Amino acid sequence: MLPGANLRDVNHSGSGSTPANHNHSVMMSTREKEKYIENFNFPFCDESSKYEKVAKIGQGTFGEVFKARDKSNPKKFVAMKKVLMDNEKEGFPITALREIRILQLLKHENVVHLIEICRTKASQHNRYRSMFYLVFEFCEHDLAGLLSNVNVKFNLGEIKKVMQQLLNGLYYIHSNKILHRDMKAANVLITKNGVLKLADFGLARAFSTNKNGQPNRFTNRVVTLWYRPPELLLGERNYGPPVDLWGAGCIMAEMWTRSPIMQGNSEQQQLTLISQLCGSITPTVWPGVENLELYKKMDLPQQQKRKVKERLKPYMKDPYALDLLDKLLVLDPSKRHDADSALNHDFFWTDPMPCDLGKMLAQHSQSMFEFLAPPRRPTNMRAHHTMAAARPTSSAVQDGGYQDRVF
Amino acid sequence: MPCWYYDKKELKNTPSALDGIDYETEMRYRKEGARFIIDTGSKMDLGYNTTATGVVYFHRFYMFHSFRQFPRYVTACCCLFLAGKVEETPKKCKDIIKTARSLLSDTKFATFGDDPKEEVMTLERILLQTIKFDLQVEHPYSYLLRYAKCLKGDKVKLQKMVQMAWTFVNDSLCTTLALQWEPEIIAVALMYLAGKLSQFEVIDWVGRTSKHLRWWDMFVEDVTMDLLEDICHQVLDLYSQPTPDPPPDSPPLMSKSASLVPVSGKSANGQEKDKIVTPPEPIITNTKATAVTEIPSYVYPPTYSGAPTHAASFPPAFANHVPVTVPGPPHLAGPPPGPPPSHITAPPGVPFASYIAPPPHYTPVATAPPFYQSTPAPLPSQPHRPYYPPPP
Repeated sequence: MLPGANLRDVNHSGSGSTPANHNHSVMMSTREKEKYIENFNFPFCDESSKYEKVAKIGQGTFGEVFKARDKSNPKKFVAMKKVLMDNEKEGFPITALREIRILQLLKHENVVHLIEICRTKASQHNRYRSMFYLVFEFCEHDLAGLLSNVNVKFNLGEIKKVMQQLLNGLYYIHSNKILHRDMKAANVLITKNGVLKLADFGLARAFSTNKNGQPNRFTNRVVTLWYRPPELLLGERNYGPPVDLWGAGCIMAEMWTRSPIMQGNSEQQQLTLISQLCGSITPTVWPGVENLELYKKMDLPQQQKRKVKERLKPYMKDPYALDLLDKLLVLDPSKRHDADSALNHDFFWTDPMPCDLGKMLAQHSQSMFEFLAPPRRPTNMRAHHTMAAARPTSSAVQDGGYQDRVF
Repeated sequence: MPCWYYDKKELKNTPSALDGIDYETEMRYRKEGARFIIDTGSKMDLGYNTTATGVVYFHRFYMFHSFRQFPRYVTACCCLFLAGKVEETPKKCKDIIKTARSLLSDTKFATFGDDPKEEVMTLERILLQTIKFDLQVEHPYSYLLRYAKCLKGDKVKLQKMVQMAWTFVNDSLCTTLALQWEPEIIAVALMYLAGKLSQFEVIDWVGRTSKHLRWWDMFVEDVTMDLLEDICHQVLDLYSQPTPDPPPDSPPLMSKSASLVPVSGKSANGQEKDKIVTPPEPIITNTKATAVTEIPSYVYPPTYSGAPTHAASFPPAFANHVPVTVPGPPHLAGPPPGPPPSHITAPPGVPFASYIAPPPHYTPVATAPPFYQSTPAPLPSQPHRPYYPPPP
């Protein structure tokens, strides 16, 4: 049965007196066309009205996120992410297209699952332009929300489980040649059963390892500032998976400190904070860094000693944890651990072994999202998050061009 | 789940058919739309993948809507616009429209209405819903290159064969083959055709086993000769279609009143009558093969001036030897009637612009697009016992 078959009535309803046989000059009026669009039952794209919004739970890189209930199955919840298109001069945002394409590709326990894409009905009220929602499986918490709640306590085995799942997810996406490019605690979702899911692929993109020797020319204006690795801050455009591993390191430390460990408010300050923690950025520890575009333009603190273990020891205690963190927060991206070697680290293979989070989370019946959490500090962290994350996308949008789409 | 492959019966029962457009006309519309996407794409220096993706969206779109509802050149622009973004080679909508304007006659461009950009933008949403946001599309090109790498034989001949097959793949976009068969199968069929026509007989190949009767048994299963010939026929039929003069009718939806953007409505019937006699503007810049105008209406990029030297020796071989040595199936017995279409005379060589040019050399098989199919991550080498001393 051809899905278009039910169109006949609509098609012919207004074509006037002309028979439909071979006269192709028959055409619809604007009104008929509008009606056609309104009545066309897109077989592959359900209407968003099949879900009922329950609450706003976040602000993604390109739109709001809602929790919603499936009307046909009231026990089933989903997260609906609205695709913002109003100020889009170039139609459906390329960032949303990327996210969709990447999510359609990635199918993994530790990557958020895209169920479908829904539309609002086109009608007079929206100038016959549908709105779109990405519909995801619902996850009860995000890591930033959990960490901001003092009542949520992770023991060492549970932290290991979180990190192991996070690295598993990264291992999977990197194997599929995808960079996440926006690692941060707020983008790490956790279901009530303790399954971790990497989310928000709004800044993600495919990468290829320099075929034919051409370096990549990616934009370096990605990743929320506090989780942004030094190579991006110094203007590197030929980067790869290590950018996500830096973020994984920041998140790992945050499991103990409960708040982001380097909260700069400018690229310069972020680099200073990194130098103070990881030691001075020099060609000795990082051969080739001197060739990065911003190496000479940024003020890089000299004579700083590396203090990763020393500074985090009061929080983390566990020597294996400290050692793994030390190998993730490595300045030189080529020496940073990749997901595979991180997963092989003793941290995950010594007692206490990673253990299930379900039991601990069962004590909390309330959903925890960073978006819903009260501000933690006078410096409104949420504002920073969204601001920094939104910057690359919004600047790409503003002038209709694709300035930030630099590869 | 949508399946983007259709059998021949379904292809004759499309919304356009139900809307009173006969099969031949629909096929012509599809061909014109596809060629227009190719021409616009190559004029804008878009790569062959982007162009091909746009064409596939176009064909899929019209499995759900009628050519009468949606004028083909607007849809074509919209498909190219979306494909540009999906394939990471975005072009501004207004630039695509500008290029379209330069390629289309006034009458054809009139289908874009008063605000062409609005028209394309509105259509984009309809397109996305229609194609189920199935954005990732594979094309025969990468398979062609992959398969060619395995074939043994005279390098020069092999390269010629690959270039010819490449051209056939380009042309196959003007058919509905992408709605019928997987890219792998199209690649095999058109390599088979090119092999016949360029006299490249595959005797041996890398990875051959005793189970393989033909080289493609290595890559595809259950492909019968009948199927391959059917596919070849569909491409070859493009070249034998005479150009109607004047064309039987003008494109549907000429009038502005079809615009999605509200404009002053006016009945178009009377006007249309006049337009019917207007022959379509030839969009051919390469006038060498006017005898078979339909085929080469490929716009070679403006920079192109004549066949590359290495390709010049090609046509004689094609014309002289093929009929003699390949008695084979009738449609393969000789070149299509009339002088060989220009693109066969001059298979695109290295110096062509991105769309038509096959990659410089076929031996280093281009890696497949960065991703199109998720692979399960290889198992990490855990549980790996500690391989470096634990921290103190």
